Amino acid sequence: MSLDSPPPPAGPPAGPPAGPQVGADEWVARQEHRREYLPSWLGRAQRQAERVGWWPRLALAGLAAAALPLFGLGGFQLQVGIDALVIALLAVGLNITVGWTGLLDLGYVAFFGFGAYGFALVSSGQVGANGIHLPSYLSIPLVMIGAGVLGLLVGLPSRRLVGDYLAIVTLFFGEAFVEFTNNVAPATLGGPNGIVGIDPISVFGHQITSNAGYYYLLVIVLVVTMAVLRLLEFSRTGRAWRAVREDPLAAGSMTIPVDRVKLMAFAFGAAVAALAGTIFAAQQISVFPTDFDTPILILVYAGLILGGAGSIAGAATGALLVMVIYDGLLRSPADSGYLFYGLILLTLLVKLRPWRRLGLVLAATVALGFAAHAIAAAISARAVAGGPASTGWVATALRDWVIVPANATVAGNYGFVALVCLLIALVQAGPRARTILLPPALYLASFVWETRLVTEPAVTRQLLIGAILIVMMNARPQGLLGARRVEALT
Amino acid sequence: MKASVIVAATALGALAVAGCGSSSNSSTASGATKSCVASIGMEGPLTGPVAVLGQEQLHFAELAASMDNTANKTKISIVQGDTQLNPAQATTVTQQFTSNSKIVAVVGPAGSQEVEAVGPLMARAGLPFISGSATAAVLTTGKYPTFFRVVSKDSVQGPQDARYIITNLHPKALMIVDDQEAYSTGLVAAMTPIFKAAGIKVDHQSVSQKLTDFSSLVAKVTPATTVVVLPWQVASNAQQFGRNLAQQHKNAVIFGTDGLFSPGTFSINGSYVSSFGPDITAIPADASIAAAAKSKYGNFGTFGPPVFAATHVADEAIASVCKAGQTPSRANVLAAIKKTSEPASILGQPISFTTTGDVVNGKFFLFKIDSTGKYNLIPG
Amino acid sequence: MGFFFQELVNGVTTGALYSLVALGFSMVYGVLKLLNFAHGDLYMVGAYIGFFVIQWFGGGSALTIPVPLLLLIMFVLAAGLVGGLGVAIERFAYRPLRDAPRIAPLITAIGISFFLENAALLLFGAQFRVYNTADFISLSSGITIGSVTIDSVQIMVLVLGLLLTVGLRELVNRTKLGKQMRAVAADREAAEMMGINVNFTIAATFFLGSALAGVAGVMGGLLFNQVTPTIGFIVGLKAFTAAVVGGIGSLPGAMLGGLLIGVAESMITGYISSTYTNLFVFALLIVVMLVRPSGLLGRAQLQKV
Repeated sequence: MSLDSPPPPAGPPAGPPAGPQVGADEWVARQEHRREYLPSWLGRAQRQAERVGWWPRLALAGLAAAALPLFGLGGFQLQVGIDALVIALLAVGLNITVGWTGLLDLGYVAFFGFGAYGFALVSSGQVGANGIHLPSYLSIPLVMIGAGVLGLLVGLPSRRLVGDYLAIVTLFFGEAFVEFTNNVAPATLGGPNGIVGIDPISVFGHQITSNAGYYYLLVIVLVVTMAVLRLLEFSRTGRAWRAVREDPLAAGSMTIPVDRVKLMAFAFGAAVAALAGTIFAAQQISVFPTDFDTPILILVYAGLILGGAGSIAGAATGALLVMVIYDGLLRSPADSGYLFYGLILLTLLVKLRPWRRLGLVLAATVALGFAAHAIAAAISARAVAGGPASTGWVATALRDWVIVPANATVAGNYGFVALVCLLIALVQAGPRARTILLPPALYLASFVWETRLVTEPAVTRQLLIGAILIVMMNARPQGLLGARRVEALT
Repeated sequence: MKASVIVAATALGALAVAGCGSSSNSSTASGATKSCVASIGMEGPLTGPVAVLGQEQLHFAELAASMDNTANKTKISIVQGDTQLNPAQATTVTQQFTSNSKIVAVVGPAGSQEVEAVGPLMARAGLPFISGSATAAVLTTGKYPTFFRVVSKDSVQGPQDARYIITNLHPKALMIVDDQEAYSTGLVAAMTPIFKAAGIKVDHQSVSQKLTDFSSLVAKVTPATTVVVLPWQVASNAQQFGRNLAQQHKNAVIFGTDGLFSPGTFSINGSYVSSFGPDITAIPADASIAAAAKSKYGNFGTFGPPVFAATHVADEAIASVCKAGQTPSRANVLAAIKKTSEPASILGQPISFTTTGDVVNGKFFLFKIDSTGKYNLIPG
Repeated sequence: MGFFFQELVNGVTTGALYSLVALGFSMVYGVLKLLNFAHGDLYMVGAYIGFFVIQWFGGGSALTIPVPLLLLIMFVLAAGLVGGLGVAIERFAYRPLRDAPRIAPLITAIGISFFLENAALLLFGAQFRVYNTADFISLSSGITIGSVTIDSVQIMVLVLGLLLTVGLRELVNRTKLGKQMRAVAADREAAEMMGINVNFTIAATFFLGSALAGVAGVMGGLLFNQVTPTIGFIVGLKAFTAAVVGGIGSLPGAMLGGLLIGVAESMITGYISSTYTNLFVFALLIVVMLVRPSGLLGRAQLQKV
């Protein structure tokens, strides 16, 4: 029996100093310098997981992504995967300009379009009598180099313009690209009809024509690009980029050639975007000007920032998440329903403490629902004539709970407005008021979903992605894998 | 990550898996297999800048499906897919449809570029698709074996309209404005050479569909310009153009094409509209359809009725397959559509298809708008 | 010559509209350093409100109240409701992100833009809602100087735009609230320590900026007649451009930027070709930015070392 007292249990470390202290640097003290670990074995597992390096994690993610089709993914899921991987590649490239160098580039999609159109022009029957049909191993590097040069040109204003002024100029460039491809030289560029009949990419003599083929190609390209960028991140150039982001003046004083560094950021970002563009063009077999308009830019930015700007893994993860939800899950009404109810329950589980309160709210919601349904049925049969518009077991479960009138549209509209107002009130209210307001709010949400939102899946999809963006940014402003940064605003 | 989040995520995952499993079970275990059950996909711009067109098309597709279900005792449902008139999204939606084995035919997509983007996919899956508004001439050169359309093509409409303008309106100078979409530029490309050959001075302008103010463009209309040709898709824009014309006291007459056919929205006195669809409110046989559409969905234009016709063709094909005792599949529905021979349709003319997918003897109807906003058919 | 003046009038009118929206945008940016991409959608909400007011009072051709009263109600209601919406958005979505990196509220703003546009699509449907201004403000009213016609709606837009701009300038320069806004824009922490209620000031700024966008929406409806859920996007983009080109944070700059864009569009459409209007306008603005990197009237930003 040991006389030594057992070591004190390793609980969470002490919190940050409470408030400013004399003699201690307040700025430093406010930093999030410690991590919260989960208690017991989960915390130990978490600490172990963190010791796995970046490279093994990349390899694991790549293998997992490559193994995914083996679980029997159909053409649609592969297409969603391809779209997601293209956006992830774009996000990883945008990360160089926005995340590492801090230059807000709102015309990034133009490089994507340049890559696609460039590939379309040199690898199809468009130019000349029979067309130039350059093999992929020539055309892709050619297009990437061309995009790099274009990136240098677009980056030239960055020598004089900073911040939002640079953003505007790049935005012009992005818009100008769409206008250009739509209206200028319709014989060569195809005008609104675009370019069709693009050659597939051939790797080592083998032409890739199926979705599965492009999926694997994209996984490999993404993994290789992320690896290259990781090496770049810790090279002199990468450090120079980060220095320019933090303080260009100080960086310049330390003999970093700030202008050249910015141009390189643009050029590298453009090259990665062009690579994504070539694969996109080959997979779609056609390119049109509208493929490279603002909605794609918004998706890339959403993915980058949600995942955490400044982190390669974050950019890829965020983009994959956004695209799988937006392009995949939300396109099917059944999955949208699960996502909707699931997210509400998830938020409640995470935010509503203690467990007793959560149980109380859920029970109250269920009771309120049955009561309301019974009262409405008693008042008028028409008020509950319609059934929940969802399919499957959700509809059967909700049939006697949610009120769905025969003519649901107008009631649903008013319900929608009421729901938004109620949500705003919920956010402002104190804990007591919140507990009371939650059951009606939940019931109203289900009502609006069953009456209006399920019947218009296209609109609901956009509404949900907007709501998800708002909520996720509120919950974690630095992004999933981003690091909390303090910005000094002059 | 907090424990609660992990627990919640696992619960959510279990929920989804349970849901996915049971929902697919319940759908295959549905009742009587004697009734004709099938799905038709509908691709269109349901959100975005031209949502007004896509929503109208969707409404008419659903109307057709419900009317045909009652008439033929079938159970055909419409599955929507939002393309936002974007070819890349159309590809994704098409992949979604081709992966869904219950979908045996597709109505749409709306734009010619989208047809070009999804044609090979549809062909590979053997899925027939009928468009009510993709009018580019190149689509029916045999490249897309499963493509059909119920409206005639630009290469017919353009020259027909151009010749009418030359012989009946005698302009010395005219302005032709496209809206930077493939439909519009195709028509302009078909019409401009004919005008130039007749010695008319042509001022070719181009504006974006998103533009809502045309006062600067209208200021360019010279006194000698007596005709302005607007092959646009959005009728409301043309109405605004007309208002700007009146505001600046210009005397040019507007000549529009299908997109402008929208009683109630485009009603500039003295304008001409050439449409691939007739005014269904003026066709007695369509009275019930027009009334149903008006009461449920309000005003409609020219993009809805052709999609009604397309859906009807698909419905009839599926019904005929069921009547022959077979289960609807893409192959037999495709064969049935190829043999379509409707003596009368909502478009006021018979529908049958050529070997490359065009509608046989597609007509164009010319209307003139009078001071009450009524569309009067010009015979011949 | 008449042609030049006609295009000038058209350009100045549309430019006045853009500058109103740009003013609101610039105000919000000045105070929060936030690029509010949802600002254009507030314009759209204002346009819808104006439409429903017209319908409430009988519709364009059968109005039950005199036209000036109708216009007053439209403007006041749009300003109030859209202002309130702006305050709610700020409270709900932007306040938690006040200390986050500047790029985070960008995505929230995009989310709000998606939400507003599609909520309008859901509630009001995709059909174009038409003001039919000609029904209650006759097209022949207005002044005609030679071959140049200025519609009465255009006159109203110009006059109202001028009044609002001057009023805003007075508010920012002369009143206590304006002083608070300027203080919060200069240094939020210091303003807080000086006893200024920062939350209230920011809410007031949002209210004013959004109200301006709402009024601009009604004016846009009267001028351009058609309202759909997506009209806000383009206007918001142009307002953003106008605000930056004029010098972000500078109110006269926003106005100048808006006018510049409106006139440039008009002149280029008139004298060159409408096909290349956007390209040329972009080129022009890039040149302006290169010549004056902080915008037309912006102050060169001091960098703290």
